[in-house]
Amino acid sequence: MGRTGTDHNAIGQAGTEHNVVGHGTGQAGMFDLAVVGAGPAGMAAALTAADHGLKVVVVDEQQRAGGQIFRQPPEEFTGSVLRPTAGYGWATGLIRRFEADERLTTEFGWSAIGVLYDDALPGGLCLAVNHPQDGTRVIGARRLLIATGAYDLPVAFPGWTLPGVMTAGAVQTLVKAQKIAPVGDVVLAGAHPLLLLVADLLVREGVRVSEVAFAQNIPKPADLLHALGAVPGHVRMLAETGGILARLVRNGVRVSSRTVVTAARGEEHVARVELARVDRRWKVTGTPRAVDASHLVLGYGFSASTELARQIGCDLVYDSPKGGWVVSHDDRLRTSVPGVFVAGEPTGVAGADQSRAEGELAALAIAADLGRDVSATALAEAERGIRTATRFSTVVQRMFEPAREALGDLAGRDTTVCRCETVTRGTLDDFLEASPFVSDVNAVKLSCRTGMGPCQGRYCEGSVGTILASAREQPIGLGGRFSAHLPIKPVPVGDLRTLDSFLDAPPDAPPDGPGGDGSGAVDG
Amino acid sequence: MTRDDTWRRTARRRGAAVTVVVDDEPVPACTGETVAAAMLTAGAAFEQDSGGTPRAPLCTMGTCFECAATVDGRPLTRTCLVPVRDGMVVETSRRL
Ligand SMILES: Cc1cc2nc3c(=O)[nH]c(=O)nc-3n(C[C@H](O)[C@H](O)[C@H](O)COP(=O)(O)OP(=O)(O)OC[C@H]3O[C@@H](n4cnc5c(N)ncnc54)[C@H](O)[C@@H]3O)c2cc1C
Ligand code: FES
Repeated sequence: MGRTGTDHNAIGQAGTEHNVVGHGTGQAGMFDLAVVGAGPAGMAAALTAADHGLKVVVVDEQQRAGGQIFRQPPEEFTGSVLRPTAGYGWATGLIRRFEADERLTTEFGWSAIGVLYDDALPGGLCLAVNHPQDGTRVIGARRLLIATGAYDLPVAFPGWTLPGVMTAGAVQTLVKAQKIAPVGDVVLAGAHPLLLLVADLLVREGVRVSEVAFAQNIPKPADLLHALGAVPGHVRMLAETGGILARLVRNGVRVSSRTVVTAARGEEHVARVELARVDRRWKVTGTPRAVDASHLVLGYGFSASTELARQIGCDLVYDSPKGGWVVSHDDRLRTSVPGVFVAGEPTGVAGADQSRAEGELAALAIAADLGRDVSATALAEAERGIRTATRFSTVVQRMFEPAREALGDLAGRDTTVCRCETVTRGTLDDFLEASPFVSDVNAVKLSCRTGMGPCQGRYCEGSVGTILASAREQPIGLGGRFSAHLPIKPVPVGDLRTLDSFLDAPPDAPPDGPGGDGSGAVDG
Repeated sequence: MTRDDTWRRTARRRGAAVTVVVDDEPVPACTGETVAAAMLTAGAAFEQDSGGTPRAPLCTMGTCFECAATVDGRPLTRTCLVPVRDGMVVETSRRL
């Protein structure tokens, strides 16, 4: 394990030995590069940057390296090791190299809550980080890499706030890393191949999986192979998917296509779910049938985690197959804000191979930017890695693009759309009808409070955008996106006092869109 | 309110046995587990929404805040990110 900046007892003085903490520490303690996220993108970037002589700090709010796909069991669970998914043989090696690298400073358990600028650090930026026990401090760096990954695409439908409803990623993490398993019957529903992996994981733990429902026709491995043609590297992964399907069916799991979950029912916990047939565009056609279940697992795909990029003021672009709003960048992964780079899922949800390749390229670009020698061969190789990965991810993205309009229709008038502020679809519909000139999601946010709670809109932006788009008969991207403000992940009141004297916008970057909604530090 | 039919521990090799206190009730846990995982296996209730309806973890990766609680006096703590420590005090509440 590299140097670890903090000790949980050292409240308030965390990291003073090597970091800019607060003002006036000057350039000396500054890192060349701060990486947010220790998934495949962040790990690859950190190692490549260190290889080019950069002083690197990596911040991740999880306890260990790996990111979402390679989430490791806790160190305390002795003997429990990560078994990477088929096709990702490189994962274990990357994690071990990252963890053993003495050159890297790692800050696990810390959340990046925003970027500030400080006159005392010309040419640098200050990354504000928060810890559940230790509060807020600031890390100074010359360059920032956003490698914050993605999260499961939220879809609002009746009953989705009931305990017992979880995302596929959540269940995968609990089973693989926390070593706990759901009790009772489980139904999985959605549209992403991750559902198959999670169903298989559950069956192998002895969990009763009654049904896996896919909104689309399930592409047969042969179709996938045909579509992918020239991407031999991924055959193993496809073979694995075929094997899983066969294993599920052998275990009595019903695998349905053209089926979506239209409701979860129960008093204080899921007891039953309703599944309905859909047409090719995922519009419900038949009467739902009820299936008993105590757990409902949702996997419609992923949304890119872009809140840090939004807070900094980076340009974003709407690209539905890539995961909705994604961060714009040039061919060296520079964002629109000077000094800020992006790698992995925030550029588009494209899988672990592409994340790793982008991490490498971003680090090379940053090293070159800071005047280090970067060989043309290394750059060409990194670019080739991205091209190979993109050929695969583009096919997968197209094949599994969510039919957002139909998913938006699943929310009825009484359905909670904004989970944090408990705002229903009915409230949105009434507001949109009464305010015919509103065509922007931030205007909806200001009036209806959707997106003002602790999740900061991560779980309702998609629904609000879709509902707005269909009310105004405009493309989803035209409705814009929620803006984000420091702290992008809310912290207890008082935690931000450390930051009082900083500038809150990059001196040379455009201000952060419309907003100023006062969402931020929320008193629990 | 607790229920006993939601989650169970699988692997036998876990961390040392500790106890956390959730809304004045002792909840057994093992070091390395997150507070949310310990609460799920104990069937403990999480925070309720402003209407008094129960909620529970949705993402277990720190993005949704459905698992938030006051932990050792610090509100808005995401219990899915925080590992248990012996004697930790967790208070769930109704959201404002
Ligand atoms: C829940 C989930 C499960 C997945 N499972 C699979 C799978 O089984 N198979 C598969 O092929 N693909 C899976 N994927 C797709 C997967 O995202 C990619 O394959 C790969 O993990 C992406 O790597 P990354 O480095 O871009 O991001 P990630 O691996 O997502 O890493 C991002 C890291 O950034 C951290 N982070 C984010 N924001 C902050 C912040 N503000 N402060 C501090 N840290 C932060 C996160 O804790 C995370 O560790 C999954 C995705 C998700 C979201
Ligand atoms: S369960 Fe979503 S933040 Fe903890």
